Amino acid sequence: MAETARGRLNWTGLGVFALVLLVWEAAVRSGLIAFEFFPPPSRILLGIVALTRDGVMLQDLLHTLGSIAAGWSIAMLIGVAIGVLLGFSPTARRFGLASVEVLRPMPGIAFAPVGLLLFGFSLQTELVVTVLPTIWPVMVNTMGGIANVHPRLGDVGRTLRLSNTEIVRHLLLPAALPSIIVGARISLGLALVMAIVAEIVGNPAGLGYGIVREQQAMNPEYMFAYIAVVGILGIALNAGVVALTTALWPATSRVTL
Amino acid sequence: MAEPIFECRSASVALAFGGQARPIVSDIGLSVHEAEFLSIVGPSGTGKTTLLRMLGGLLRPTSGEIRMRGEVLTGPPDGVVIVFQDYGNALLQWRTVAANVAFGIERHLPRKECDERVAAVLELVGLSKRASDYPWQLSGGMQQRVQIARALALRPAVLLMDEPFAALDAMTKAGLQDELLRLRDQTGTSFVFITHDIEEAVYLGDRVAVLKGSPGRIDNIVDITLPSPRDQVTTRQLPEFLAYRYDLHQAIGHG
Repeated sequence: MAETARGRLNWTGLGVFALVLLVWEAAVRSGLIAFEFFPPPSRILLGIVALTRDGVMLQDLLHTLGSIAAGWSIAMLIGVAIGVLLGFSPTARRFGLASVEVLRPMPGIAFAPVGLLLFGFSLQTELVVTVLPTIWPVMVNTMGGIANVHPRLGDVGRTLRLSNTEIVRHLLLPAALPSIIVGARISLGLALVMAIVAEIVGNPAGLGYGIVREQQAMNPEYMFAYIAVVGILGIALNAGVVALTTALWPATSRVTL
Repeated sequence: MAEPIFECRSASVALAFGGQARPIVSDIGLSVHEAEFLSIVGPSGTGKTTLLRMLGGLLRPTSGEIRMRGEVLTGPPDGVVIVFQDYGNALLQWRTVAANVAFGIERHLPRKECDERVAAVLELVGLSKRASDYPWQLSGGMQQRVQIARALALRPAVLLMDEPFAALDAMTKAGLQDELLRLRDQTGTSFVFITHDIEEAVYLGDRVAVLKGSPGRIDNIVDITLPSPRDQVTTRQLPEFLAYRYDLHQAIGHG
């Protein structure tokens, strides 16, 4: 990240990045790197500007953003629910953990053909590919977070005469929140990756399809422009979650972020 | 003498280890009167913590019974609260000091009354100025005071304390000991105070029970007749104090 723990910009780190771009620019212009379809950063920037003026970039960005939001939200609901259940209940772990461990290592992309067969080239296919692998990080972190809550907190709840549901709601979930947030952030990064993959192979829309479309049209600066925007989107999404977490739970963010 | 408010009659606890039930404490008989300070002293491994968990209703006795105001316990009873030794685990790190103290009462009281009670107990333990801090911004002694305040907010009749000052330095400990005695005088709360520190048990206690053996049993109960209010310097120099200290060391088997 380009930010330090205190939230100020890390100028040294950004300077190094700018230097890399400069070297790239110089290498391409001087002919040191000579590919037919390898543009310098300045051309990519012009590509972003052109696509943005045209309006197509915003349209593709909104599509991808929407898929990520939908896919990540569905995955969060499923992942937190299963994670809480497995974290609380040894019985649930005994019956359910084996299934989870079998499904979890399967690469999400392997389900793209399944999605295509069931739903064709569509948003549904994109969501299948995005949701399935995105469930696991948040699920595993939720389960671990709940299972690792210090047993003393349960004692505290009981001596203060809380009911079992109150103990879950007011003690175990807040205590596990830092782990759940970590899982949610990993899942969000994965949702971006999987949405792009799905748009490349399964749903002709959004930023991922933009990369393929421009590659096939042999517009390298536009192709790289889409890749750059995907990168910027990743940084923005992460910063968004961090900001949201800090606003909602200031005390928790101290430990997590 | 009046009826005891809290009573333990020939109670025993056995816990399962690898499928086998091992007795931890056996045949415990104790009674606590209103505003009384009962210290329980015992070396490690005699089941002090198990005894306190049983008294607090977290563990059900395998035999015998515990009564609070005559009612047999089936779980943590109304009016009895435990203060744990490990304040770091027992406090809610994501809540401010005031929100921690409110935790036991906020679901049962109107907002205004809850706020007033939190303010009152924070005043009592001298933490009014730290109400909006988080536990990790406080020293160990202050964190333990937060836990005591959280228990006091429920206005318990009996406060059960499990070596609450064991992790604190000597000076903080002395300050908190005097604070407990002052709280007892102000609120009329009864205390059951478990410790491995004989001097602490004598200094605080109206009576000191000696827990001994494995499984742990109450060996004897000593009445402490030292003048009140107690003083960290002068009380500890009294010949009677030293005599109690000597007797209890003998009773535990150090002498």
